[in-house]
Amino acid sequence: MLELKDLYFSVSGRNIIDGMNYTFEKGKFYSITGPNGSGKTTLAKLIMGINPVSSGSISFQGKEISSLSITERAREGIAYSFQQPARFKGITFRDLLSMAAGTDDEEMLLALLRRVGICSLSFLDNPVDAKLSGGEIKKIELATTIARNPKLAIYDEPDTGIDLWTIQPMVRLLKREQKEHGTTTVVVSHNRAFLEAADIVLMISEGKLVYKGDLKGALPILNDLSVCNYRKCLGDKDVGCYR
Amino acid sequence: MLDAIDKDLLKTVADLEGLPKGAFNIRKNGKLLKREVSANINIESNADGSGIIVTIKPGTINESVHIPVILSQAGLYDVVYNNFIIGEGADVTIIAGCGIHCGSLEPEGHAGIHEFRVGKGAKVKYVEKHYASGPGQGRRTLNPTTKVFLEAGSTAEMELTQIGGVDEANRTNEATLGPDSLLLITERVLTEGNQKAISANTIILAGAGSRANMISRSVIKGDSEQDFYATMEALAPCFGHIECDAIIMDNGRNETVPSLKARHPDAALTHEASIGKIASDQLMKLMSLGLTYDEAVNRIIQGFLK
Repeated sequence: MLELKDLYFSVSGRNIIDGMNYTFEKGKFYSITGPNGSGKTTLAKLIMGINPVSSGSISFQGKEISSLSITERAREGIAYSFQQPARFKGITFRDLLSMAAGTDDEEMLLALLRRVGICSLSFLDNPVDAKLSGGEIKKIELATTIARNPKLAIYDEPDTGIDLWTIQPMVRLLKREQKEHGTTTVVVSHNRAFLEAADIVLMISEGKLVYKGDLKGALPILNDLSVCNYRKCLGDKDVGCYR
Repeated sequence: MLDAIDKDLLKTVADLEGLPKGAFNIRKNGKLLKREVSANINIESNADGSGIIVTIKPGTINESVHIPVILSQAGLYDVVYNNFIIGEGADVTIIAGCGIHCGSLEPEGHAGIHEFRVGKGAKVKYVEKHYASGPGQGRRTLNPTTKVFLEAGSTAEMELTQIGGVDEANRTNEATLGPDSLLLITERVLTEGNQKAISANTIILAGAGSRANMISRSVIKGDSEQDFYATMEALAPCFGHIECDAIIMDNGRNETVPSLKARHPDAALTHEASIGKIASDQLMKLMSLGLTYDEAVNRIIQGFLK
């Protein structure tokens, strides 16, 4: 359903995404992992149209989308959950949810909240501003992504700022969305809970896809320092090491 | 009595469909158009006929008074001095607002000087909306002044809005807070074209336990210019905060100067100020929800000025 072909994204002559080829299958759950700075978020942003493709192609359901705007990709059925969600002055969770769902019908919004489960009803009229905690805003971000009823949902580090007790419900929610709505799900994460939930784990290092398969096969690579991009890495003893 | 233009202006500045219920005073082109008083709210002209005195009886709860001004007379600059005396323990809403309709090359303007004396333990919500429209090329000026005196334990919530069409505005807000009183001011100003607006604010926290929060939201489009000055001076143990945000679009210009003066060691004063374009992460978020770029801009501005 989503095909990346010879995909490059370069900044100042450096390839952040370095010739990536991969086809995502409809209805599958993918986790993308890899060291910090390896290109995971960049790849997610290329798919959503937040970053422009340098060369190569992205096709979604057989349609070339690499020149489409964020809006057009959203309308094609791609939804994106930002790692660091935007905060607004004067826009409430209700406003965002209404925009995402395309309705301000109270019953439908409440049904959405019940479907998402992890957002309290009392959130609804809260402004999505700097007063929200990191965890609260991530839950709102997730809810607005699900409210789009996307064919492809991309979640960039959805667990950032989320308390330990919410991570498993969040994983179950995304799995349920995958199962009940056939949502092709792509989660960028370092969290083992999401890696375990995935049908397929994709590992990226230095802008290249270095592994695709199950978690069992990924673990030896995750334990191998060779995928670390921290140049003079001393392993676990080094404060800069991603592990 | 009210023509189509009057009705449109009243709807825009005071959310009124025709005449309001309860106490009201409608001023048109510098003269009284219609007035009603109620059992608890009296409105009378002041001695020199330059404005009105609105007196609200102590203990008046959940009542409102509308005092809109409409202007459609070419060349008129209307100045009005209004006094509001809010009795002890009252809890009322005052809806003001001025709408100008300019149909000629001649300028039109209004200056409303509003003075509030809020009695002990009383609460007042003051809503003021300014708007100008019409096909004329005459300059439209609105220069509102509010002066607020808060007695012990009283509260004033001021919502001051300039929503468009005003070529020039000199806005002045002054307040003096007594012990344990609370002042909340939210000012929202939109300018476009070659419009210019200046807002000057002075808040004196004179009483122990007083609190003030001043929020300013400015949207500056086209070649317009807005300047915002706010001084909060603390004379007692108190809390004060100024929050001023300006969104600049096109070639808009803005100067924002929050100023804090602590004259007492237990004063707590803070401010936050920002000037800039609409944040790209906000635009991207709304576009990822299916809005176009223009729809996203409008939605963000709408929320910001809500």
